[in-house]
Amino acid sequence: MTESGEDLLRRALTEAIAELAGSRRLVVVEVAAEGVTAFDLHRDEAGTSRGRERPMTRWAGQTAEGGGDGATPSPFEEGSEGATPAEGGRDGATAFPAEEAAVRATWLPVDARVVLVRSAPDGGPVGRAMEALRAARPDALALNGGGVPVAVLLREIVAAEPLRRPYDLVVLRRHPVTGRLRLACQPLFAMETRRGALSEVTVQCEPSDERGTVFAVVAWQDRRPVLVSVHAVKLPPGRYEVTAMLERPGRVRFSGLPSLTREDRSWTELVSSVPARLGPPSGPAHLICAVETTGPEVQLGERLRRVSQLVTELAGELSGLLQVSLVTYGAHSYDPRIPERPVDVVDWEVSPDDAQESLKILEESRAGRATGHGAAEPGYPYAAQVEDMLAEVAGRLGPPGGRRRTVLLTVGARPPHPPRRHASEILPCPRRVDWERQVRDLQRHPGLVFGAICDQPPERAHPAWARLGENASAHLDTLDPQGFCADLGVTAPGVQRVPFPLMAMP
Amino acid sequence: MSSDQGRRPGDPHSIAIWGAPGSGKTTFLAALNIALILKNGPWRIIGADPGSLDFLKEMTDKLTHQRRFPEATSTLSDYRWLLSRRPEEQVKGLLGRRKGSPAWRIGVNVLDAPGRSFGAERTGHGTDREALIDELALSRGIVYLFDPIRELTDGDAFSHLHGVLADLAGRMLAKDEFGDDMLPHYLAVCVTKFDEIKVLETAEKLGLLGYPEDVQESPRVDDEDAEELFRELCAASPSGNARLVLPTLNQFFHPERIKFFVTSSIGFYVDPEKGRFDPDDVQNLTPEASADGPQGPGSGNRIRIRGPVGPINVMEPMIWLGQRMAGEQQGKEAGG
Ligand SMILES: Nc1nc2c(ncn2[C@@H]2O[C@H](COP(=O)(O)OP(=O)(O)O)[C@@H](O)[C@H]2O)c(=O)[nH]1
Ligand SMILES: [Mg+2]
Repeated sequence: MTESGEDLLRRALTEAIAELAGSRRLVVVEVAAEGVTAFDLHRDEAGTSRGRERPMTRWAGQTAEGGGDGATPSPFEEGSEGATPAEGGRDGATAFPAEEAAVRATWLPVDARVVLVRSAPDGGPVGRAMEALRAARPDALALNGGGVPVAVLLREIVAAEPLRRPYDLVVLRRHPVTGRLRLACQPLFAMETRRGALSEVTVQCEPSDERGTVFAVVAWQDRRPVLVSVHAVKLPPGRYEVTAMLERPGRVRFSGLPSLTREDRSWTELVSSVPARLGPPSGPAHLICAVETTGPEVQLGERLRRVSQLVTELAGELSGLLQVSLVTYGAHSYDPRIPERPVDVVDWEVSPDDAQESLKILEESRAGRATGHGAAEPGYPYAAQVEDMLAEVAGRLGPPGGRRRTVLLTVGARPPHPPRRHASEILPCPRRVDWERQVRDLQRHPGLVFGAICDQPPERAHPAWARLGENASAHLDTLDPQGFCADLGVTAPGVQRVPFPLMAMP
Repeated sequence: MSSDQGRRPGDPHSIAIWGAPGSGKTTFLAALNIALILKNGPWRIIGADPGSLDFLKEMTDKLTHQRRFPEATSTLSDYRWLLSRRPEEQVKGLLGRRKGSPAWRIGVNVLDAPGRSFGAERTGHGTDREALIDELALSRGIVYLFDPIRELTDGDAFSHLHGVLADLAGRMLAKDEFGDDMLPHYLAVCVTKFDEIKVLETAEKLGLLGYPEDVQESPRVDDEDAEELFRELCAASPSGNARLVLPTLNQFFHPERIKFFVTSSIGFYVDPEKGRFDPDDVQNLTPEASADGPQGPGSGNRIRIRGPVGPINVMEPMIWLGQRMAGEQQGKEAGG
């Protein structure tokens, strides 16, 4: 016995579609006055219901042009990304006797769920076809169609479905200090969102290449993003308030932007065109220069000159936004006759010009101290107060939290003192300061980066130097100030093309 | 000065401080002087002649005031000292008089093992060795200094020891004077440089560290455990030959005449202000600055002693030997 009523049919089809998941398929067979049409439905990776309308199989004696449904567009072809276009076409439809037609229409995957819809009065080929189909698939649900063609009904149901997965916009996030870019997602629509919903995002668009900035929407499938749609538009760089509208599952329309066109670069191509980092937005920066004062005079002079070069380089790039601090540190003394010289904060947060002045004075006073080519700094010869310097800097910076870009530039050669007796036989720091803990504490500052200029080649330098040069490191003799500052992420390496919108900083 | 100076015929046999060059003999002697002074007991170390006395004073001053180690000397065997015990005062008790021990003294020689030496002016291999065997033959107590630090790099303790002992035995036992084919000496085997991190940590790993009285004092290794540490340090020697040292000693000396000590002439660092040992900061050596730029440990900078010298187990082996030898002599005198 068949059920009747358009609402009933709508509800049954909605349910059947809602149950689609994984590799399950649904086949809806419409038996109409002109012939039989089958609709294949499944759910794609992004959780969107997708379907395909097969060519109609007409009753014997009727022709394609005679079809009353010829004007009804397929719900799955129009604007439906990712949908496979119907095989063959309506024009290729041929006429067959009713039973044969029915048998052809039941050529279905055995595991597919089948719904039979009779949308014409029982009798003649319609009745015979229904009977043959029901005999072939006794498990099929059989329903009576109403006035609305099944194709239209299915399109409406699919469009009205709630989202099965959350939708995000693909954006880039930029490290506030290093400028490093990272692909990220900005939530647009939560699960269960239905068509018509709006979501607003503010993005920053950087100069793109000639194909424009890409607006890509992804759905999350178990922690894995699946592309829903990728569109691009050429925009002047700037800040954009973008409204995303969920037109239907699988389709998001953006307003607040000129019209987007479908993007056909591959995802890998797009991702690989993202630069590793992006020059910094303007904002204040703090350069802390920590200089080891041990070693031969020539070496110390070289260290001070390198620091001066970097101050010049950064001051030029960040005109007016740079503050400089200058800290010197030497060797601990374990000899009561040689007084301990603590870490010296020569300057704290002064202008680049003042810092340059201090560097000059330091160099001159040091040169005055020198008695020959290699005056030895008194004190312990195998290590320096790196750990005390770190503690001093950490203390002055205070608790982590500030957004200001801060560079800790350490220039020296020797290892730190260990906090306690150590197999290296380097004597422990008299205050038992632990350099590793200090580095970890400093790493908690969101805006802090580490640069190191070491007199030693990396393979000979103490492991502490790798940490101190985490973001940028160079040898004293081969420093390239521009490259070094670019590595630190405080200056921009030329014009860059960025394919995705950046999350705008609040 | 010759080694004969200060020794008269009929003198009791002497004690020889013997070890490889650089094993710490000179420092040990100076530390012995310091330790005996600090102890303020009946034992003293004195020069057998004015030259030896000056040398001892100079070494002691170096260690305490200048906080430096003695230079490598080639003339050690020219000096001669005496370990002396003052007569103990007679103690009057309720039951009458108790007899104090009599005055007693014994010669002390410092002998370099033949082999690589620091001083360029040092005499050649053969002479050193002959002189060494002569001196050892004349002594009845030996302080054998085993330097575990040197052993870790050079690993040559066995080759020094075995040749010398074999020759000594050949010389002394040929006369069959001692009956049992064993050398007649008492032997104090001293592991030196206990204050070095490597030695301390080896002892720590073996669970041999003890803290006398309270934890504020420097750790020690009990004499009963000293042999175990010695064995472990020998096993760590890269040459692999060090494992033969102990069997070699047992071959030549009566086991009951061998005793092990874990020693340090300078002791661990003790902060003069805090006045107590800190396990996190134990090293009593510090390198001095050099003009050659950044260098690491082992790069040959001059070494200074960092804090006060606090000898560990330096006096004990000497007193052990002194008591044994004194006892033997008294026994002989009483018996004959
Ligand atoms: N750590 C440590 N080193 C010592 C000690 N005694 C000697 N040394 C080191 O060993 C070196 C040689 O010592 P020295 O007494 O001249 O040895 P000798 O050649 O056997 O007389 C010294 O310069 C010190 O560097 C000690 O007690 N502890
Ligand atoms: Mg010496």
